[in-house]
Amino acid sequence: MKGLGFAVGLSLMVAASASAQDTPGLSIRPLVMATEQSFAAVDSFNAVFGKTYFPFFGGGAQIVIHDRFFAEVTASRFRQTGERAFLSNGKPFPLGIPLTATITPLEVTGGYRFRIKSLPRVRPYAAGGFGSYAYQETSSFADAGEDIDTRHFGYVVNGGAEFRLHRWVGLAVDLQYSHVPGILGNGGVSQQAGESNLGGVAARFKLVVGR
Amino acid sequence: MVAGGLVLTLRGQVDGTQLQILQAVGLPAVDEGVLQDESHSPSSNEARQRTALRQTLLADRVSATGTHYRPGRVIVRFRDEAAMADRRAAVRAASGTGEISVRPSYADFDIVRIDPSEDAEEAASVLRRRPEVQFAQVAHRVHALMVPNDPLYQSMQWNLPLINMEKAWDIQPQAGSAITVAVIDSGMAYQNAVITATLPAFKDEFGRQYPALGRVTIPYSAAPQLVAPGASSRIVAPHDFVNETSTPFDYEGHGTHVSGTIGQLTNDGIGTAGVAFNVKLMPVKVLASAWDLLFAGFTNISNVGGSDDDVARGIRYAADNGAKILNMSLGSSGPPDCATKPNQADCSPVIEAAMRYAVSKGCFITVAGGNEFEDTVPPFGTNPTSIVAEIASRIPGAVSVAAVDRSKAHAYYSSTGSYIELSAPGGSERGFGSNGFVRQQTFDFNFTDTFLLPPSQFVAPRFDVFGYIGYIGTSMAAPHVAGVAAMLMQQGVTDPAAIEELLEKTAVDLGNPGRDDTFGFGLVDARAALRGLGLAK
Repeated sequence: MKGLGFAVGLSLMVAASASAQDTPGLSIRPLVMATEQSFAAVDSFNAVFGKTYFPFFGGGAQIVIHDRFFAEVTASRFRQTGERAFLSNGKPFPLGIPLTATITPLEVTGGYRFRIKSLPRVRPYAAGGFGSYAYQETSSFADAGEDIDTRHFGYVVNGGAEFRLHRWVGLAVDLQYSHVPGILGNGGVSQQAGESNLGGVAARFKLVVGR
Repeated sequence: MVAGGLVLTLRGQVDGTQLQILQAVGLPAVDEGVLQDESHSPSSNEARQRTALRQTLLADRVSATGTHYRPGRVIVRFRDEAAMADRRAAVRAASGTGEISVRPSYADFDIVRIDPSEDAEEAASVLRRRPEVQFAQVAHRVHALMVPNDPLYQSMQWNLPLINMEKAWDIQPQAGSAITVAVIDSGMAYQNAVITATLPAFKDEFGRQYPALGRVTIPYSAAPQLVAPGASSRIVAPHDFVNETSTPFDYEGHGTHVSGTIGQLTNDGIGTAGVAFNVKLMPVKVLASAWDLLFAGFTNISNVGGSDDDVARGIRYAADNGAKILNMSLGSSGPPDCATKPNQADCSPVIEAAMRYAVSKGCFITVAGGNEFEDTVPPFGTNPTSIVAEIASRIPGAVSVAAVDRSKAHAYYSSTGSYIELSAPGGSERGFGSNGFVRQQTFDFNFTDTFLLPPSQFVAPRFDVFGYIGYIGTSMAAPHVAGVAAMLMQQGVTDPAAIEELLEKTAVDLGNPGRDDTFGFGLVDARAALRGLGLAK
């Protein structure tokens, strides 16, 4: 994360002093992405994993039209092992039985890139879209049918800025809010906690290749 | 390092000369002393690391049906007539990386190694369709399904499988080893001794006159399936509030039976099994038996049992001396509104205060729900409120336990009411005969209850003859829950209210949907409680 922060700062300096680049009418740009997500289901994640923020890693691609409109498809993955637990009066009691959760979001967004005359290498953007979220939960001592393998839809909105580091390379930083109902809240500690959103707020760092 | 020997203790019951107990008679045991290593308790950092490491190393896959299997391998039996070249072709068709390993010993099958990232289920599916293959499957994970080797477990103890104990023992094989359970009852057969007493003449409840036997010597033994030879450290801080001694010997058998359900020695190839078979036991005697009265020189034995003050003191004693689970297979009938009018006659505010004190000290309490469903108890009528159980229902961290029979139906005697919180096996002979009993090792009452014989045949008792005796009652139901609670506390749920909540949430609902007055929240499920909850399920 410190490295990414340094890269962001460096990109701002480069962006401020650089001239505008020629942009094509249509560009397809692959990207890799690292995300730090703070889950909305605070009590549930605290009970099982002992904290509420975790990294996702993934990648995807963007289609940018006239440097203004864009569509983005990303896939990422979260995998974490914690313990089965029980909540009583809001206090978690971990039971020492390993539980592994895997979340694989596939998100599709569309948005608009803004231009700032004084910062020609910076493109603020805002986007919204939807996602399909695969969720797997496996635990020790599970009988057949007790583990979970499911997929549900949710929606996302995000906003941030892309900084051109090089003619072919950009670094995008944004904040994304995701709302993923249908997976949590029907059982387990999430039901005890009354939490039904598997999403949350994520800081996303994307390294984009292409013009 | 060798402990034991003879300790002569004079235990005066009333006048200081009536009863003598020669304790710990027998050969000294070999004692290895205290072993400090507790790294195998499930809540220790070491145990969690082991579990996490094991999980990481295993890196199981989960099949479409939810079963776990080992990645990187497919078990295949090729047809005998299939040539090696054909076998290899079959493997290549199923997996780009598959290779037939050298056949392992004691196998009539082959292991096809594939890249761990490959889908072994799919590879097995492809192989199954090949003509060279007789069968192919993934390597499903199996784990110990602990079935105790105690011979009577399989044949007589329907009660433990009924609450899913085998899978609970898989989760926690050490079965509550760091927890002390206080059995607040009629005492416990926990020590060998020789008792010398003067037995007076007396009348029984029918007015029959029994002769004085004078000075008699009575053998007394620890129940061998409660305290193994050399394992006296299992017994913690014993105390007798009936006779005000530190030797709470059970002369009745009830407390010993209840203790067996909680913690009978298990998997030793002998007798029956117990729920939390590694717990430490604290015998706290608050119920007097007929022999307690006779040893004390009483001449009428119609008033056996305990009293609120002894019970309250026993509860406080247990809480102050390290017990974390208190089992109270006892009770009395009373009015239904003690919650709102605790100072009326027949309520027990002294017991309520003691129970609240114990819970505040971190103790979880189980209380028998009462055996008066069919009984009429003046002035409270039929199916009266069981007072101690009703108190338990108002304290988060204490539970009242009703009884079910071996078909999970309401046991005919089990009291019902708004105060019933959980159910557990209490047994019933109706429809089942002696197969419906809850069996544990306790005294053979043919040798203890000699006062049931005609006066002409009356002899001194002996308390060194044991059998696996069938009892029924909510007294038998409550210790099942106490044992499971001890395992939960060992597992890391240390708050009494949380234990109650977890037991109730994971109970198997019986009767009307949701909580009802017959079964409470349902039949306790040891495995479900110990396993707790996942994130989403």
